[in-house]
This record gives sequence, structure tokens and C-alpha cells, in this order.
Amino acid sequence: MTETVLLYLFSAAALAGAVVMLIARHPMRVALGLISTMLALACLYALLGVHVIAVFQVLIYVGAVMVFMVFVIMLLDTRDPSFVARYSRLLLPGALTAAVLAATLAALLARHHGGRLRPPGGADFHLQPFSVAFLRDYWLHFELTSVLLVVVVVAAIAVIRGRGGRDG
Amino acid sequence: MNAPLPLTVIYVVYALGLLLTFGTILTWVERKQAAVMADRIGANRAYVRIPFTQIKLIWMGLFHGLADGIKMLLKEDFRAVPYDRVAYALGPWVTFIPVMLVFAVIPFGGSVAPGRLFPLLAGSYGDRAFPMQIASLDAGLLVVFAFSGLTIIGTMLAGWSSANKFALLGALRAGSQLISYELVMGLTIVGLILIYGTVDLDAIVRQQSGTVLGVLPAWGICYQPFAALLFLTAAIAENKRIPFDLPEAESELIAGYYTEYSAMKMGLFMFAEFIEIAIIAALFTTLFLGGYNLPWLTDAGFVLPGGHAFALPHALVVVTQMLTFLLKVLLLCSFQILVRWTLPRFRWDQLLRFAWKFMLPLALVNLGVTVAAVAWLRGLAA
Repeated sequence: MTETVLLYLFSAAALAGAVVMLIARHPMRVALGLISTMLALACLYALLGVHVIAVFQVLIYVGAVMVFMVFVIMLLDTRDPSFVARYSRLLLPGALTAAVLAATLAALLARHHGGRLRPPGGADFHLQPFSVAFLRDYWLHFELTSVLLVVVVVAAIAVIRGRGGRDG
Repeated sequence: MNAPLPLTVIYVVYALGLLLTFGTILTWVERKQAAVMADRIGANRAYVRIPFTQIKLIWMGLFHGLADGIKMLLKEDFRAVPYDRVAYALGPWVTFIPVMLVFAVIPFGGSVAPGRLFPLLAGSYGDRAFPMQIASLDAGLLVVFAFSGLTIIGTMLAGWSSANKFALLGALRAGSQLISYELVMGLTIVGLILIYGTVDLDAIVRQQSGTVLGVLPAWGICYQPFAALLFLTAAIAENKRIPFDLPEAESELIAGYYTEYSAMKMGLFMFAEFIEIAIIAALFTTLFLGGYNLPWLTDAGFVLPGGHAFALPHALVVVTQMLTFLLKVLLLCSFQILVRWTLPRFRWDQLLRFAWKFMLPLALVNLGVTVAAVAWLRGLAA
């Protein structure tokens, strides 16, 4: 009972943070929305009995990634008004992609409805088995993710450079 | 195994009371110890007068902490016009709350069996013993680092949102300093994790209950004395206290990132700093000083070398272990205050060079040596 209430509460918090992230204008507000979403997700993981994932969620995403984001936003914040416009030109493609994603997720969820929605918590997700599985079975996936991150960084630079050639 | 709900509630109340008491007492300890070190009489003016009598309880100025708290609460809550209202309001809380949360995974005593303490409860609890720790998680040490990373965001939000150049400079300094020293702090611990083979704080403390070479207690500081030194240094830097108090250096930046805060909002920053002294002390005690362990004290009583054993009742063991932990924490708090009143402040470039070019290589060397030693010892054992 308590768990269900908390589950819905933190889900709502995660959604609210995501909405704030999408509609807020100032980068720092966006970062705050993202932080609250990530904390709420960590709470959800903890509720589902996978403490280790919850801890890593806070440790890596909030403690490392978001700390750097907040630091950079603070460092580069020259009170520049470029973020006054709420929507960019990519609004329509973005909305379309979001709709497709939502529809796909909904379809998947509908197909598996009534099935096992709870992740397999418990012993598999204690620190030791988790680390062993991570470094023995999933190291290639992990490394591929980092390659993906490099691609994203290159893409971000390309997007910035492509817009009127204004070098930082 | 986590404790049942009633016991957990008692633990939480105990932990909150303990931390808030430490936060209040340490403001007095700081001033009194500074006075003793400077050969002054020191804080001795605040007193409580017993109503309708002329009896004044001075108690060496112990009530100064209380007077401070009341002053913070009753002062005008001056409303600055911040650059960002939300971040300005969030700042103190994001700094304060994670500091309190860290204590959830620190074991503050051995195991307690409620059924053996109170015969009345024997029916419901039987002989089962529970660790004296709010949340016994197998990822305990990672939780500590996860939460202490959150405080950085709080300081940066506070300084950035304040619409004040001094505050912004303080926040920039705080951000870069905390990120640098957090790295060092994490690296110094890795060697210890290698030796203990776990990050579960309760298991770490239990491993420190024996003796090494027959005489020395098997505390972390005996295995990793160098890491202990580096860890304490990095932890004091994390807490932004002299000699690492650049983010709030009053002769350069007024009060740094919390210049624009007043009354209890500023009090929360101060409170967080003083509670963090206690948290650092508790963490250091847990990792390097054997936590609640006294040499030769086991759950059954004292077992001295040579086979002499004194059995102690369960209640006495529990109380002794809790007091041992508290005493160690208190001594370490006092040591941190000693450092604070001994060393002068770094210059900014010195501070960052100290982190990246001195402490980080040393931590890496320490880790390398530990890895080699552990591998060699495992090879011997195999």
C-alpha cells in the first residue's frame, strides 16, 4: 500500500521534472528539472528493490554529470538572452519524434500488459553479482555506449557550428 | 538485514538528535578550543538563569550554541532580490539535507538485540540482533559519495542565483574545489575497499574488530595510514574550512557563495558545515578507526590476549560501543577544529595545484602500492 502510493508519487515527480525540463526557458531551470527527474527515478529504483542502480543513478547522473552541467551553466551564464525564445525551429520534428516514441512505448506496454512489470530485483542486483555481471558480460555494451556518447558530442558541435558559424 | 520499523524510527530519531546536537555543540567547541589555543578565556558570557533565583548556569559558555541558534531564528529574514528565485530558495536546502542523509548508512554501534535488552520485548523479537545502522545497504560507501556530491549543487546554486559578484566568484571556487577534492577523496578510499573487499560500511567495521600482529587493533589506519591522511585532508577541503575556505574567504569575498543569505537561511549553511564536521569524523572513524570497536571488546565482553575473558551483559556492550563511537567522533571533530585554527589559508592557485599535482598523484601511488601488495599477499595465500 505505502509502496504503491510512493511509487505513484515519485512517478509523478519524475514526470513533473521532465515537463519542467521541456518548458523552462533558463538553462539552470532546465538543469534543475533534469536533476529532480533523476532523483525521482533513483527513488523509483530504490522502491523496486534495486538499490545499487538507485545509488549509481544518484552517484553518476546527479553527482557527476549534473554537477558539471550546473557548473558549466554557471560559468557560461553571461545573462545572454539567447534562451528567451521558448521554442526552436526544430519544434515540429521534435514533437513528431516524441509522438512516435510515446506511441511505440504505449504499443509495447499494451502488448505486455498483465505480464511481469516488476523488474527482477533481489539477489541479482546486489552490488557484488551486479558488478561481476557488469564487468564480465556487459563490458562491450558499456564501451559501445561511450562510443555513442562521442558521436553525440560530435553531433552537438556540428549543430552549434552549423548555426551561423558563431564560434564560441 | 534492516531493522524492523519501530527500531528504525528510534535510530532515525537518535541520528537526527545526534547530528543536530553536534551541529550546535561544535559551534561552541570551535570558539572554546580557539580560545584555549590562543590562550584566551573565550566564550563564557551566555548563561541560563534558573527562574526566580539568581543561580546562573554558565557551564563554560556551553549555552553559546543555543544563543546562536536563537539569534539565527529571530533575526530579520532579509529578502535579497536574487537573480533566480527558485535556485536562491533551493540553495540552502540542497546543501543541508544531503549532509544529514549521509549518516543513514554509518553504523553508530554494534548489534542490538531488543529481546535481550528488555525482557518485555522478548516475545516479539526473540534473540534476533539487528545492526545499529539506519539503512544497511551493501553499497553503503557509494551512498556516502552519492549524497556528498549533491551538496556541490547546493553551493553552486546559492552563489549563482544571488545576483552578486562575490557570491558568483565563491560559487565558481566552490564548484571547482569540491569537484577536484571529491576525486581525491574517492581515490584514497579505493585502496581500503581493495583490502576489505566490500563497500558495506557495517561489514567494514566488523572486519576491524580483530588485531594485527597481535598488538595493533585491526583498524583501517594501521593498513592504510597514508590513505587516512589523504582522506582527512580531502574531507576537510570538501567541507570548505580553513585552510581550504577559499569559497567563503571573508577577507576576499565577504562570505562567498552565501553572502546574500541572512538569518536562518544563512544559518543552514553554517549548520551544514558544522554537521559535516561530525559526518567527516564519523566517516573517518568508520573507515579508519574501527567504528564502534574497542580493542579486545567483542559482543560477549572483553577477551584480552592471553585468554583472559570478562563477560559483559548485552546492555553494557551496546552502550560501550555507542559511547566508543561517539568519543572517537568527538575527538576527530576536535582534531579538525585544531587544524582549522592552526593553518593559514591557501592561495587559490595553490589550492588547485595541491589537489591535482600533489594529492592526486599521491593517492594514485598509494593505490598502486596497495594493489601490488594485495596481489602479492593473495598470491602467497593461494
